[in-house]
Amino acid sequence: MTRTTSLLSLCLSADYPDRPNVLRTLALEMYSGEILGLIGQSGSGKSTLALAILRLLHLHKGNQRGEIWFQGRNLMGVSEREMRSVRGRELGLVLQSPLSALNPALRIGTQLEEAWRAHVKGSDDAARKAILETLLSVSLPAERSFLRRYSSQLSVGQAQRVIIAMAILHRPSLLIADEPTSALDTITQSEILRLFAQLSRELRMGILYISHDLLSVAALCHRIAILHAGQILECAPPAQIFGAPQHVYTQKLVAALPRGALLDSDGDKVSSVVASHEVEESVKPSVESSIPDQIPSIVR
Amino acid sequence: MKLLRRTAAAFLIAVFIAALFAGVLVPVPYAKQFRDSPNAMPSRIHLLGTDELGRDLFSRLLYGSRISLLLAPAASLLATIIAALVGGVAGYAGGWLERIALGGTDLAMSLPWLFLLLAARAVLPLNLSPAASLLITFALLGFFGWAASARVICAGARGLRDSDFVLQAKACGCSSRRVLLQQVLPNLRPALFAQFLISIPVFILTEANLGILGLGVSEPLPSWGGLLRGLENWSAVQANPARLAPLLLLLVVVSCFQLVLRQEDFAP
Amino acid sequence: MRNHRLALLAASFLLAALPATAQSGAELRFVLRSEPKTFDPMLVDDEASETIRYLTGGVLIRVNRKTQALEPELGVSWKVSEGGKKISFRVREGLSFSDGTPFTAEDVAFTMQKLMDPELHSPTGDSFRSSQGQVRVTAPDPRNVVIEFPSAVAGLERLFDQVAIVSSHSPKKEAAVLGPFAIAEYKPGSYVLLRRNSYYWKKDAQGRKLPYLDSIRLDVQQNRDLELLRFKRGEIQLINSLDASYFESLAKEAPAAVRDIGPSLDSEQIWFNQVPSSPIPNYKKKWFRSTSFRLAISEAINRGDLCRVVFSGHARPAVGPVSPANLFWFNKSLEPNPYDPQSALRRLQQDGFRFDGHVLNDPDGHSVEFSVVTNAGNKYREQMAAMIQQDLEQIGVRLNIVTLDFPSLIERISRTFDYELCLLGLVNVDLDPSAQMSVWLSSSSNHQWNPEQKTPATSWEAEIDRLMQAQASTNDQKQRKSYFDQVQKIVWDQQPFIYLVNKNALVAISPALANTSPVVLRPQTFWNIESLYLSNQGRGGDQ
Repeated sequence: MTRTTSLLSLCLSADYPDRPNVLRTLALEMYSGEILGLIGQSGSGKSTLALAILRLLHLHKGNQRGEIWFQGRNLMGVSEREMRSVRGRELGLVLQSPLSALNPALRIGTQLEEAWRAHVKGSDDAARKAILETLLSVSLPAERSFLRRYSSQLSVGQAQRVIIAMAILHRPSLLIADEPTSALDTITQSEILRLFAQLSRELRMGILYISHDLLSVAALCHRIAILHAGQILECAPPAQIFGAPQHVYTQKLVAALPRGALLDSDGDKVSSVVASHEVEESVKPSVESSIPDQIPSIVR
Repeated sequence: MKLLRRTAAAFLIAVFIAALFAGVLVPVPYAKQFRDSPNAMPSRIHLLGTDELGRDLFSRLLYGSRISLLLAPAASLLATIIAALVGGVAGYAGGWLERIALGGTDLAMSLPWLFLLLAARAVLPLNLSPAASLLITFALLGFFGWAASARVICAGARGLRDSDFVLQAKACGCSSRRVLLQQVLPNLRPALFAQFLISIPVFILTEANLGILGLGVSEPLPSWGGLLRGLENWSAVQANPARLAPLLLLLVVVSCFQLVLRQEDFAP
Repeated sequence: MRNHRLALLAASFLLAALPATAQSGAELRFVLRSEPKTFDPMLVDDEASETIRYLTGGVLIRVNRKTQALEPELGVSWKVSEGGKKISFRVREGLSFSDGTPFTAEDVAFTMQKLMDPELHSPTGDSFRSSQGQVRVTAPDPRNVVIEFPSAVAGLERLFDQVAIVSSHSPKKEAAVLGPFAIAEYKPGSYVLLRRNSYYWKKDAQGRKLPYLDSIRLDVQQNRDLELLRFKRGEIQLINSLDASYFESLAKEAPAAVRDIGPSLDSEQIWFNQVPSSPIPNYKKKWFRSTSFRLAISEAINRGDLCRVVFSGHARPAVGPVSPANLFWFNKSLEPNPYDPQSALRRLQQDGFRFDGHVLNDPDGHSVEFSVVTNAGNKYREQMAAMIQQDLEQIGVRLNIVTLDFPSLIERISRTFDYELCLLGLVNVDLDPSAQMSVWLSSSSNHQWNPEQKTPATSWEAEIDRLMQAQASTNDQKQRKSYFDQVQKIVWDQQPFIYLVNKNALVAISPALANTSPVVLRPQTFWNIESLYLSNQGRGGDQ
């Protein structure tokens, strides 16, 4: 309904000392509130892109060049100090393995508090209130006893929800999720996917959903970008990706999908996905089989 | 196992209390020389016998415990804090900072400490009261004893530097300083604790050796180190096995420390 | 009388048994505590080399280590003339070096000329050098030799005890000796083997050739614990200069093997720093330069306790620079300072010091506190310091003990003078006061309490200077003794060195070794090496 504005627009190259051209002038654009699926095989540069957007590639000894236009400014041009105020507050990150992303030596509450205090100076009460609210919004028990737990006392699904809570604590306008479900079992995976859809809807948050799994992305995303060898080969609504893939690589990717997943169980699944995607309207059609009661509600 | 821990804790508390109230508990002043009964066997008056100068070994052991049990952990704490800062920063920051810090620890470990300590002694005034010499000794130990620990800590911090939770914290906008203090250091706690514990007996023994350089706890103050030096006189030990008491107490206390303060408690 | 005869009988029995043992290849073993630095008798400067020189060298005059009197050896007779400038010897005839070359006065002349060559830098030669100038040596015939020095040499005759005569002809140099033994084998770092000199001239009362022993094996062994262990196992037969604690431990296992020979020449002493330019507070310098302060400290020290507790009774309270063991030179009118803290306090109070029962304050209100430095690692000195600390506490003096490594200690007491009180020992090897010249002359660098003075700082130091010069310039022993008695008295009155104890000479001798008669003078146990022998019975020796 509303006119979609550009949230993120980037053009990046990145290298590692021992691996040049991991990203090769990769261009990508995202709109406010959009869920963009980024699909690529391992080694295609997915995680590099995630870190590069946060300008944290140097932690992995990487080097990045180009432009990252985010909410009207070029992040490549801002100081590290400013960048720090962007991270966590306007740009959230969710990592692949929830258990290693949580600090084993700290209580859950302490870690969430750290994330809160990175951007807000205020009373303990305010922090506590924000944290408990956020826990509720990711369907975790908003209890003090829960906050006193260590990561080793959580299930993987709970841990991933804590990570998501940390990432959305400050209601960022863009959440980057780097394979957030690959470490989870199928049921938890679908729960988390549902959570992302819900968060996007409720918080009007753009989500860059990085995955190697075309199928899981198909149900969630407004658009899908295919990443290969450091470049975006094509970027289109799922219907087009599945229905009329332009690039040879995409065609191979789609062809490699088990047919049953697309057609057999529910005859109109793919077609409904394909038919209802309209990026410009920022709406999402239903994908009944995988996330039955969630997706319809995303359609506003 | 639990019983053993409790016993160890009770023993430590008893030793600490005994050391703390040494002034009340000792039968005779620790420096008093009973010149008519040097090298005496244990008796009702001298529970552990006397040393070469006729000083009551039990009194000296109690006072020595007070000094060593208080100051060796303090020196160890100082060394561990320095090691945590140097090693933590170096390992976490990496790059040139790590190279400089590691070079620094290498240098610190390869320095001819003997000569540095001699130089330190030369700078210090001769007329130091025994109490002052004591504090200086352990302060020097603390300042000089960090290098080996720092390397261990640095290696630990380096491992944490690339961990996901550090990346996650950074992605949440936490500053490097806070990530180091709040995320990295808590994970180094078990290593730091181990270093702290290892350093205590090392410092107690080093203090004994420093006495040879005129830097240790000076006469007539007793310390465990000084009492252990007394064991060099083997024929006296053979004559009075109670002289082994300081060694025994050191071994037992250090093992009790290990039992009571287990590393697992610091790593959830 | 009857007992006496019995003893004689026993002695002759032992002597009669001699040839059997002497031919059985008896080898005496003991250790050198360091590697001998030289085998050249003229360059000897360390104890191990001195041991070799004593066992192998033939000298003109020997100081009998027991009687401390001079005895003719290669010199049958001698005469000192021109006030100690000239000495003429008549040498023994018909002797040969160990390589068979004959010995004549020419060899003596050759030895003395070489010894006095300034280019050689012989420590032995230096002791003859009282002033610049040429030494003239002449051998008018094979029996006589005359030596003329540029000026009088104090105690000239006994210096020849150190001069081992070398051959002027023999090509074998150091290997050609006149002493009872000659070097047969040397393995650096391991051992020196000496074999009896078959050309040695001495015979025993029965006309048997000396020495009795066939060989001596000297193992280089620095570790005293190992030395003791090897003695206990019977691998070595002698230990010189035992420590009191080793002595006690050995006495428990083998009481027959240990001997306490009484006070040695060595002393332990303390002295206050009296150097005017030293970096210590002026009020302390004032204490240290006060004679009554030094006397008070001396009286407050319980020397008896030091001997009893630290040395287990194997030491005597010391009197002064000369040990009672030095039979001729000791001033017998002097006594050790008595332990008397009350008298010490009276002395100090007369000088205006105040004692409140705990702390002693000087007239200006400074509490009396100073430090004593001593070398670290010396158990006896550390214990003496701890005892002195408690003794001085009784008169309100606080003593801080600082143990330093030896180089730092020497740095402090001889270069920076940054010390207050020093505790060290003095090792005396020479009986004659001339050997102590450098300690007593106020201009000397070894004048420890205030070295290298341009003019004597005090009248009593000037007097000591005068007396020491006077004793050195005459050869009249009685006159010299009277001068040196006065020096001892002044030192006793002024206490620049506060003498604490004379350690006893302690040795261990295997009961298998016969004819032993250990003495305090070095070499304590084997000074009569030529008459020692190993008895097969495993028992023997004199008492």
